[in-house]
Order: sequence, then structure tokens, then C-alpha cells
Amino acid sequence: MNEINGRSPTAPKNRWLDKVQSSWRLLGFSPIGLLMLVLIGISPLFIKNDYGLRLMVVCLMIGTQAMAFDLTIGFINVVNFGFAAFVGIGAYTSALLAVDLGISPWIGLILGTLVAGLVGFLLGVLTLRLRGIYAAIMAWFVGLALMSLVTVNVGITRGPLGLVVPLFYDRADQILYFYIIYPIMIGTLVVLRLLTRSHFGLAFRAIGGNLGAARASGINPVKYLVMNWTIACSLAGLTGVFYASYFGILTPAMMHTKQTVEILAIAYIGGRGTLWGGLLSAFLVIPIFEYLRGLLAYRWIIYGIFLIITMIFYPGGLVGVVFWIGNSIKRLLSRRNKGS
Amino acid sequence: MQLSGLVDLVIIGLFRGGLYALMAVGLALVFGVMNIAQFAHGEFYMIGAYVAFFGAAMLGVNPLIAWAMAVVVVFVVGVLVERSVFLPLRIRSHEGWVMNAFLLTVGISFVIQNIALAWLGPSYRGITEYWPGNISITPTLNVSADRVAAAVAAIVTIVALWLFLKSTRIGRAIRAVAQDERGATLVGINLSRIHWFTFGLSTALAGLAGAVLLPMTQAYPSVGFKPMVLSWYVVMLVGMGSISGAVVGGFIIGILESFSYYYLGGGWQDVVVLSILILILLFKPSGLFGAEVKGIWER
Repeated sequence: MNEINGRSPTAPKNRWLDKVQSSWRLLGFSPIGLLMLVLIGISPLFIKNDYGLRLMVVCLMIGTQAMAFDLTIGFINVVNFGFAAFVGIGAYTSALLAVDLGISPWIGLILGTLVAGLVGFLLGVLTLRLRGIYAAIMAWFVGLALMSLVTVNVGITRGPLGLVVPLFYDRADQILYFYIIYPIMIGTLVVLRLLTRSHFGLAFRAIGGNLGAARASGINPVKYLVMNWTIACSLAGLTGVFYASYFGILTPAMMHTKQTVEILAIAYIGGRGTLWGGLLSAFLVIPIFEYLRGLLAYRWIIYGIFLIITMIFYPGGLVGVVFWIGNSIKRLLSRRNKGS
Repeated sequence: MQLSGLVDLVIIGLFRGGLYALMAVGLALVFGVMNIAQFAHGEFYMIGAYVAFFGAAMLGVNPLIAWAMAVVVVFVVGVLVERSVFLPLRIRSHEGWVMNAFLLTVGISFVIQNIALAWLGPSYRGITEYWPGNISITPTLNVSADRVAAAVAAIVTIVALWLFLKSTRIGRAIRAVAQDERGATLVGINLSRIHWFTFGLSTALAGLAGAVLLPMTQAYPSVGFKPMVLSWYVVMLVGMGSISGAVVGGFIIGILESFSYYYLGGGWQDVVVLSILILILLFKPSGLFGAEVKGIWER
């Protein structure tokens, strides 16, 4: 009687193992991807110079931001054009708390995330009820307004002079900061991965793809749009707090549209709607650009043209290239097996 | 404050507003006809400013000829951009055109700005004045001749554009496409030709604004950002795609700016204008004169 369809029922004591297994499957890291993440994690063992480690930290930070950015543009197809301003909200919240009230940046990590998420939530509730480009432009305007507010309130934020922020540690060893941003990146990746592979992610994609069809299948669009927007904004705030207490100085320029455009470029070159594409392209693009520093402004032209070509002809981005290579290798191997 | 002071502020606002209207009409035109939310508008402003600078300062031609040169060059650049970037996207993109086109203009802005940076460097280039002297408008208000010329140029151009759209064959075709693309194709309008022409026209308006404002704003690679943002304020205030509304909106934003500048000092005008704008849009998302913006719950 116990055997149904020839399968033995799972013993209760193994249930937790099943749960781990199924959530692992939900996470869906390929062995190569996992190896890459571990390699990044232990890279401070090999990279001894400060310059290299600094580059790694910046790559991780930009990569995390690109992943958060991709959650909105890649899934619900609304661009958060005030992204840099949300990074700035997190940064300035933690910085002002630390400077004026002496609250440690570690607590700032939580508070900055919450404040950025709250502002994102309010903006989302107000603008995401409407279709199309409206929310993007409104987010842009709100971002610009916040930047001007920070610039003119010289008494509080010191404006363009720059606010000096206490760092996480007294020492400036890059490895310490590496192991702050690395868990943040892993956490972001895992959370976003679980989110987008659950039924929430399905709803996001449905709304982004065809709103009418999504509504017809019983999805409440406002709920999911606002949820997506809030999560992306709070992650932006989180990286902002790290930015503040890593570089130690904050100017309103960090909230400028230019910064949003840079994140957008990284996310797009990585591939839309893939999450880890942003991380991959951050680790490729930023070091290459450091290397090509001699080209000055010409490298930005190449970058921009590359971005435009990606947008028009190859929306899959770098991730698309990776999959294409993987598939070609597979096909090659299977053909050889058949031949022998 | 006395009444004459208020009048002065309004006049200053109108002078500013004329140019915002000129830029905003270009934005509204390209959004209305092609559904492109143009982010690279400021870069065409920048090209116009540079061309006028090279015309007026290097070649030493008459300012009016320098302006005409700017309009022609920017028109050609605009058409080239449309043919090389938006045409391939239109062929390939099926869904989400508005968002994709918007992001594409972001990329274009990035490229043009950096070409200017690589080629001409970050230094400011400019001329002190096209025409010397001041013109007194009211007893307490003196406006430089260049500002008057700029306002006149803006108004003349807007009127000319209005006549063009109203009474010429191609102008009517442009309005037809803006109303209904499929219907326009059915009556035999060549859509592709309208698209490149409209895009060129819209960028040429931005280029003209850059050229006439050269003595005030100079020319440098990122000069276009501020005017572009301001013309976006206008377009959002009146409703996207409303061309006649954009003219009115330009003057409204100009006056708002001159008042907040006077009462609160520099730097605050952005905060004030944006706060008012955001408040208006929260209660009337379609803008003052715009067609209804579709909500998510509507069909």
C-alpha cells in the first residue's frame, strides 16, 4: 500500500535534505558559475597588491548595482532612471547618521537600505500605476530633484565640497573591504535568483512581456511592479552605504544621471534579464577600461558604440555569447561522439 | 516688491521660455510622430553650439549665417543618426519599442558627447556676443541684444514650424503619422521618409537653440544636459507629444524659473520647478494639455 507508482515515499528524516536539494535546484548555479564565484571569493589570496584588490572591490560593487538594476529593466521592462539617486539616498542616509549622530556605518548598512527602499516604495506606488515611459521619467525627475536638494543644502551635506564619511574600519586594508562587499554581492545574487525563479519572477516576466495577458491570468500588476521596484531600490541603497564608507567622501555628483547611465551600460552589455550578466560584464568591462586608460575619451566612444550595437543587434548580451559558446561546444562534442 | 519688478520678472521668464519652447517642440514632435523619448536632445544642442562657434568665431561670418549653418549641420547629423540607429531597431524590435528606443537615445547621447570630448576637449568655447549692446524694455530692465535676438529667433521659428505643419503637404503628412501610423500608411504616406525628416527637424530645432544661445551658455561637451532636462520638464508638464502645448509649457517653465531664481537664489530653481512639476504630475499624470496617459488597469 505504501508504494504508489513504484516510488517509495520519502522518509520523514530525509525531508530537510530534499528541501535543501530543491532550493539548490531553484538557485540553479551551474558548476562553472559556482567555481567562478568561489574563485572571486578566494582571489585576495592571489592578488596581493592594493591596486588589484581595489579594482576587485569596485567590480563587485558595480556588478551588484548592475544586478539590482537588471531586476527592474530586465524583468518588468521599466527602466529605473533615477537609480543613482537611490544609491545616493542610501549613501547620504548612512553618512549623515554617522557624521551627525555618530551611528556606526554597520548599522547604516541596514538603515540606508531601509530608507532607500521606503523612498523607492513611495515613488513606485505613485508612478507605477501608469504605463510606459512615465515611471522612468518620473524616477529620473525625482533623482534630479534629490541631487539638487543635496547640492543646495550646503549646511547639512556640505554640497559639492563633499562630505567626509567615517570608514568601516580604521585601517585602509583593501582585503577588509573586499570581504564586506563580497557577501553583499553573494547575498544579492542569491536573493534575486531565488526571487526571479519563484512565482514572483514568473509574474515579473509576464508583466514585462505582455501586460494584458498577465492581467488576464490573474496577476495584480501594481503589487508586483511596486515589489520589484522596492527591492531594486533598497539594494541600490545598500551598495550606496558601502560606497560611502569605502571611499570616505560623498559629493552630489554620485547621484548624477551619468552614473545611472554607466550602470545601465554594464547591465545591458551583460545581457537583459539574466542577473549574473551584470556581474560578468562588470568584471570584464571595468578592468579592460582600466587597461585601456591610454586611449582617454576614445575608449568611451568605443564603449558607447558597443552598447548601441548590443542594444540593436544582440539584446542577449554577454550571457547570450556565453550560452552560444556553450551550446556550440556541446554540439561539437555530440557530433564527435556520433562520428566515432 | 513693486509691480514693475514683477513685470520685469515675467519678461525675463518669457525670454528664457522662448528657447525652452523651441527645444520642447522638438522633443514633442519626435515623441508624437516616432514614439521616441529623446534623451540625446541636448547633444544636438551641443553640436549646434559648436557649429555656430566655428562659424561665428573662426570663419567670422554673419551670425545669421552661422545659425543657418548650425541648423543644416544638425539636421544632417540627425538624419544620419535616425538612418543608422533607429531604422535597424525599428526593423528588429517588435515589443517594447518605447523603452528600447529611449535606452538607445541614452547610448547615442553617450557616444556623441564623448566624440566631442575626444575631438574638441573639455574646454569651454564661446563668444562674448553676436551683437553688442543692450536694449531697454522697461525703465528698470535692460536686456542684452543677444537675448532679444534669441527670443525673436525662437518665436519666428515656432511660427514658421506651425505654418509648415499646418499648411504644407509634408507637414500634414507628419501630423497624420502622429495621429495614426497605420492609417497614414493606408493613404499612401511613405512612413520611412516622414520618420527621417521628422527626426532631422526635431534635432535641427535643438541645434538652433544651441546656436542662438552660444553667447549665454558657451559650447562644451556636456553643455546640452541642462537644456535637455529643462525641455523634458516642459514636455512632461504639458503632456508628452502635445506640440502646441509645448510652446505654452516653455513659457510657464521659464517664468517659474525666473521667479524662483529671484526669490530663493541660484541652485534652488531646479528644486522648486521639479517639486511643482512632480506635484502636478501626481494629480494629473497626463500633463496640462496632454491626452490621457494609460493606467495599468485600463485596457
